[in-house]
Amino acid sequence: MLGKISPSGIKARWKDYLVLFSGMIITTAIFYMFEAISTNDQFTTNSPVGESAKFVFIFGSVLLAIITLVYVFYANNFLMSMRKHDYGLFMMLGAKSRVISRLIAMETVVIGLISTIIGLIVGVGFTKILSRFLASQIHMPLTHFSAFYMPAMWTTVIMFLVLFIIAGFLNARTFVKTSALRLLRSSQQSDWKQPKAVSLWVQAILGILLLAGGYYAMYDIKQLKLMAVAIGLVTIVLGTYFVFNSFFVMLLQVIQRSKMNTKGLNSFTLAQLKFRIRDYTKILSVVSLLFALALGAITVGTGFQNMVPKLAQGNGYYSVGITNPSSKMNALVDQIKDKSTITYQQKIDPQTKSVYYRIDQLQKQPIKYSEFVDKATLKAKISTAQVAQYRHNDSGAYQELWGLQAPDAKAFKIKVVSANSFNRITAKTNQLLMVRANNMDAATTTLTKITNLQAKQYGTKNNQLVGGSFATYQLLKGVFGSLEFMGIFLGIAFLAMLASCLMFKILSGAASDKIRFDMLNKIGTRRSVLKRSIWVQILGLFTLPGILGIIDVAFGLQMFSRSGLLIGGAYQTFAITTGGFLILYLIYFAVTVLIYSRIVVPKTKVEK
Amino acid sequence: MTTKIVQTKDLHKTYDKNSARPYEALKGINLSVDQGEFVGIMGASGSGKTTLLNILATLDQPTSGSVEIDGQDVTNFSSNQMADFRSKKLGFIFQDFNLLETLTAKENIALPLSLQNTKAALIEPAVKTAATKLAIEDLLDKYPNQLSGGQKQRVAAARALVSNPSIIFGDEPTGALDSTNARELLDTLSGINNQGVSILLVTHDPFSASFCKRILFIKDGQIGDEIESGDKGRNNFYQEILEKLGTFEQ
Repeated sequence: MLGKISPSGIKARWKDYLVLFSGMIITTAIFYMFEAISTNDQFTTNSPVGESAKFVFIFGSVLLAIITLVYVFYANNFLMSMRKHDYGLFMMLGAKSRVISRLIAMETVVIGLISTIIGLIVGVGFTKILSRFLASQIHMPLTHFSAFYMPAMWTTVIMFLVLFIIAGFLNARTFVKTSALRLLRSSQQSDWKQPKAVSLWVQAILGILLLAGGYYAMYDIKQLKLMAVAIGLVTIVLGTYFVFNSFFVMLLQVIQRSKMNTKGLNSFTLAQLKFRIRDYTKILSVVSLLFALALGAITVGTGFQNMVPKLAQGNGYYSVGITNPSSKMNALVDQIKDKSTITYQQKIDPQTKSVYYRIDQLQKQPIKYSEFVDKATLKAKISTAQVAQYRHNDSGAYQELWGLQAPDAKAFKIKVVSANSFNRITAKTNQLLMVRANNMDAATTTLTKITNLQAKQYGTKNNQLVGGSFATYQLLKGVFGSLEFMGIFLGIAFLAMLASCLMFKILSGAASDKIRFDMLNKIGTRRSVLKRSIWVQILGLFTLPGILGIIDVAFGLQMFSRSGLLIGGAYQTFAITTGGFLILYLIYFAVTVLIYSRIVVPKTKVEK
Repeated sequence: MTTKIVQTKDLHKTYDKNSARPYEALKGINLSVDQGEFVGIMGASGSGKTTLLNILATLDQPTSGSVEIDGQDVTNFSSNQMADFRSKKLGFIFQDFNLLETLTAKENIALPLSLQNTKAALIEPAVKTAATKLAIEDLLDKYPNQLSGGQKQRVAAARALVSNPSIIFGDEPTGALDSTNARELLDTLSGINNQGVSILLVTHDPFSASFCKRILFIKDGQIGDEIESGDKGRNNFYQEILEKLGTFEQ
């Protein structure tokens, strides 16, 4: 009998379940996608880039598993808050607690199973899209890659089933231990306690000191080295917790003491927010920390991407070397803005295994070459070559010139001779055109066309063989591109789950707020005022961890930039990613406000 | 001539009007409450007394007929007008106190004034006055969970009084109190009424009703009978109510 009643209860609240399901499905889908890519050998063993990507993806799926755990816990909490009253009623009507607990466990597992299955289907779709994108980033055809990958399916199913079985078991246990009356009245209980002033002060000061210490440690990474990371981790986690538990509460108390408190519903809104913050301390701390982690992953990923031109140009001064350029290539070179070019004559003599250049040309138009002065900060020095340098094949000038030659010439030694000697060598005279594009990002399309034509002329498909810093540029773009993509993806997955955790936590409290809003309506609060109060309360709960998270990243970036891992533009990327992040966060905020209002604001539309 | 605080004309309320089985909760109620009166409405569950209270309290609107409160026709108010009207002109005391546990007693009492955007300087003395009337001056800085049931209900009464409403509506205000606290609250309400505040009490408890000056009996959506305490004394009036209930409900 109860088996029949139970689905009807779900049907009645399908909108709430829809929210629950959509969150679970996305979680499962993302988890599957990470598994499918990180464990799929087809994808990862075929290229060096895939190899490094694999590691990142495994790291990502471990982090995801941890967050999924937290997520399932909160989603489950929300589910139970919806069903508590029904279960209490069943028990009141005489259902044995053993039967109820079996029902609860079953319901949780069934919901888990359904969302996992749908999630897997969505996950296959996600994987298809992502793998295609990755393949284009690292220039590798994925002939044998299938988005449907059985081992990953199993991992996902087992992982989620175990989580849901644990959740179901925990739910059942909680209910057996709670009396029917308590379940029925669970929404009317309040555990509000006024915090003690002394403990607030101590925690607030401690929290801010800990945060400051953590930020300083990250700033001073040069001195503290790895210790900075260890100190930062401990102090920031603890500091965040204390700040939420006290500092923000005290801040609200100050506002409460001001005249603002007596305006409209402010007193209610502020008091609610104060209560909520203390009640939510743990989840808010976790949200702010993971917010920082996600934002940091994206910023650093994008930051690396932006370093690519610097890295490439530090490796070589000229972007491409073209042997005997065709008129088409010359026309393309003309299209590049902001460039410098040099042309040398060159003769290749297979007998002496040498490539000859004219000394007068090298003197008149000396080669420029670039060398890293400080690899950590990517500082490069540009120098002008002296003819004497070509005698040593390990000199910067020699390496620069050697790298720009055609593949068959690279096997030979470079020799610099007088114009007369050059003329006496019986071999075809080649033209070597060396082009430097000062802005490689802008010239990428043209340079790609040139290297493709050149590779064709060399009789190869691999345009990496063309040489020059543009080849390095392309290679690094591939590696960092997938890293960046991965960072963004992981970040978004984190954020989606975190924001839904927060959303579920807030929505779980809606039932008990219903009575309060009902009373406020009776004593004459306008609907718009009630809605504004909800808006402000939820905004507070969403923004506070967000702000703390952003501050965390701002200081965390110091660690990267001061230890030389990120150069220039990091804060610009940070601003852009934060912006993108906030948009996603805002969507979650809006959905929460909408659902919450629907639950708690009394309907004042009157049937006449 | 005394002014009428509440006056209804031929009040009807039908639920699920367009459904196959419409339910008529009120069938033509005509009643009036004079300035300074203490009126009780009694009736069994399902008699329509809650529907009537909701309409009088502008929480609901009648299907037909009209309601006038303090000289204003509230029948066709918009929901915003209804809300503003409630916060300015009406006071409420509920069965389960309905205090906000995250606010102090003082903040709870001040809420109706804050909603009307009363100046902070004026809120303080108004709260003091209401608190003095209910003898809860010492409790103002306490939170509801630090108060007894009786104290909570007095805070709720102070909240109902603070905006000097035209009338106070009580919905089974003693329902959650023990007999001592119930008695105390009813004495307090009588005291407030003696100072000229009109009160309309909905109850099914004869003891609570015996504190009223006039009682309307409602049955199946209609007012069936009416009795007045006059000079009978509260005990005699209580007996009369019991007798009335005995015959009325049959």
